[in-house]
Amino acid sequence: MSSLTPGSGFRPALTGALILSVVLVAIGVLVELYGQRYQIRMVYAAYVNLLVVLGLQVFMGNANITNLSHSAFMGIGAYVAAICVTPVKIKAISLPDAPWGLNTFALDPISSAVIAVVITALLALLVGLIITRLTGIGATIVSLAILVIVHSIFLHYTDIFKGKQAFFGIPRVFTLNSILVVTVIAVFVARLFRESRWGVQLRASADDEVGARAMGVDVFRVRLVAWVTGSIFLATAGICYAYFLGTISARPFYFTHVFLTVAMLILGGMRTVTGAVLGTVLISFGLEGIRFLETGPDVAGIKLPEMLGLSGIALGVIIVATMALRPSGIMGNTEVEQLFRRRRT
Amino acid sequence: MDYAIQQILNALSFGAEYALLALGLAIVFSIMGLVNFAHGEIIAAGGYSMFAISALLTGNPWVVIVGALIVAVLTSVLLERLAFRPVRYADPATGLLTAFGVSMILQNLFLLLVSPRPIAVTNLYFLNWPIEIGSVQISTLQIFETVSTAVAITVLVLFLRMSSFGIAMRAASLDFEMVRLMGIKANRVVAVAFAVSGLLAGLACIFIMARRGSVDPTFGFNPVLKAFVACVVGGFGSLGGAVLGGFLLGAIEVGMLVVLPQSYGGMKEAFVFGIVALILVWRPNGILSPPVEKGDKL
Repeated sequence: MSSLTPGSGFRPALTGALILSVVLVAIGVLVELYGQRYQIRMVYAAYVNLLVVLGLQVFMGNANITNLSHSAFMGIGAYVAAICVTPVKIKAISLPDAPWGLNTFALDPISSAVIAVVITALLALLVGLIITRLTGIGATIVSLAILVIVHSIFLHYTDIFKGKQAFFGIPRVFTLNSILVVTVIAVFVARLFRESRWGVQLRASADDEVGARAMGVDVFRVRLVAWVTGSIFLATAGICYAYFLGTISARPFYFTHVFLTVAMLILGGMRTVTGAVLGTVLISFGLEGIRFLETGPDVAGIKLPEMLGLSGIALGVIIVATMALRPSGIMGNTEVEQLFRRRRT
Repeated sequence: MDYAIQQILNALSFGAEYALLALGLAIVFSIMGLVNFAHGEIIAAGGYSMFAISALLTGNPWVVIVGALIVAVLTSVLLERLAFRPVRYADPATGLLTAFGVSMILQNLFLLLVSPRPIAVTNLYFLNWPIEIGSVQISTLQIFETVSTAVAITVLVLFLRMSSFGIAMRAASLDFEMVRLMGIKANRVVAVAFAVSGLLAGLACIFIMARRGSVDPTFGFNPVLKAFVACVVGGFGSLGGAVLGGFLLGAIEVGMLVVLPQSYGGMKEAFVFGIVALILVWRPNGILSPPVEKGDKL
């Protein structure tokens, strides 16, 4: 960070984002050409999680405040889009008691997505007014409280969210190609945000809050900007999830998903966008292998026992080991283009 | 009137449980700045040990109780030794995430090694029978819970104020480095903090088990979530704050049960956590928070 002038880091940022995008698109195209259906689904899920992890990086990585409410915002995005886009005929069956005439209209996928993003961002703004005023542990626990509040509303406000049942009938308009486009945009936005005036100010305030404030940084405001920007990523992830699967329920937006995505971010290193991408790719593929072991497969003629919980243990071990051995994650403070530059010189 | 007394007693016993757990979290946090998310799994370990003891050794409830307390203390100390020592001087976020990881590992170990389904342990039901005092009907468990919390807090306060080791621990919560310069072993202070925390968790475990009668891998998760909230509301790192937060949370929870109509029963959590968030808007660092220094501390 040689200079605080905004814009000075933009060219390397574009290079870095471009490198990451090329890798992501390459993985996507390879799977599309040679992969089977379940592999395409797996990669799609990984890219949805990548959107979540990127959204998490924007706030948690730059502000260094552990946030655990992200899956709730993803859920809000998914549900709002689902409610807007689902055809009236299906909603008449699935949401007969919906208030405010929610079951009397249906919009096209794009305007539904826009509405979902706007509503999620507005809710995030409200919550952000509280959360940006807290630091450290307090902020983390409040984010946890938000997760619990949102989940319990999803579960118990059955007139709109259907509680424990699945919300079905969402038009499946997204394919792997669509999410490739969305993730590439997200990588660029996350990276540019990191190098923007706000990103630099936020990172400075994470390193030294009093110092940053003395230099004239409005810490609350930059935190709030990052928080709302992150929530837009999360809403988008939720929308992509709903538009691909066609059904959603409250369960995927709770603790299991929170831990999974947090593990991805801290393994790669939460301070960089490269770290977010790397962590997501490593854990997504790694977990697939472990899930295979979990079901008790035959390996070299030996029938292994069924081992439920193995993937959870693996995630836990990844988190503990990363924190003990390399607390700043694999990438630390290095973005991908710096890796290349260093090698050349 | 009777109804009011009954609800106040309910609030006290809820609050006692949260206070016990919150105190266990606060004592570790005040000394090493670690938010021990694996506290819930210490409770679960106590619960599983009850099952193991009554299946393998004896069904005698007193043996089961003492055994669970010992297991809780040992688990807590062992976790410190294995997982939390490497991150002892790291920043709180690192410690928090480590504790998350530990909690996940333990939960899934219970799932893998024991069973994903709840396991019944019924030999503590004898603690719980209804009695009538005047015209108020309460359960003995509520009395036991409130009384033993009061006793535990008193003993803890005496230990921290009277014994020289307790004074060392209080000093460590203010300035750990200085305490080490005075010739007190850091490892011992931290180990005792974890042992006390484990003991409090074990105590809470007994009451939770006596009420629920079964243990499953996520057994400790919800109580500890509440305890965290209690800590934050009271002021993280302050022992008095933890107790206050615990009882306050108990009161809010019972208040919500009384006020909310039946159809909103499931949304109780949402309202409780919402109120807590509002309290934090009023006092961002909790009600009894110790003063925070944000400047350079060399």
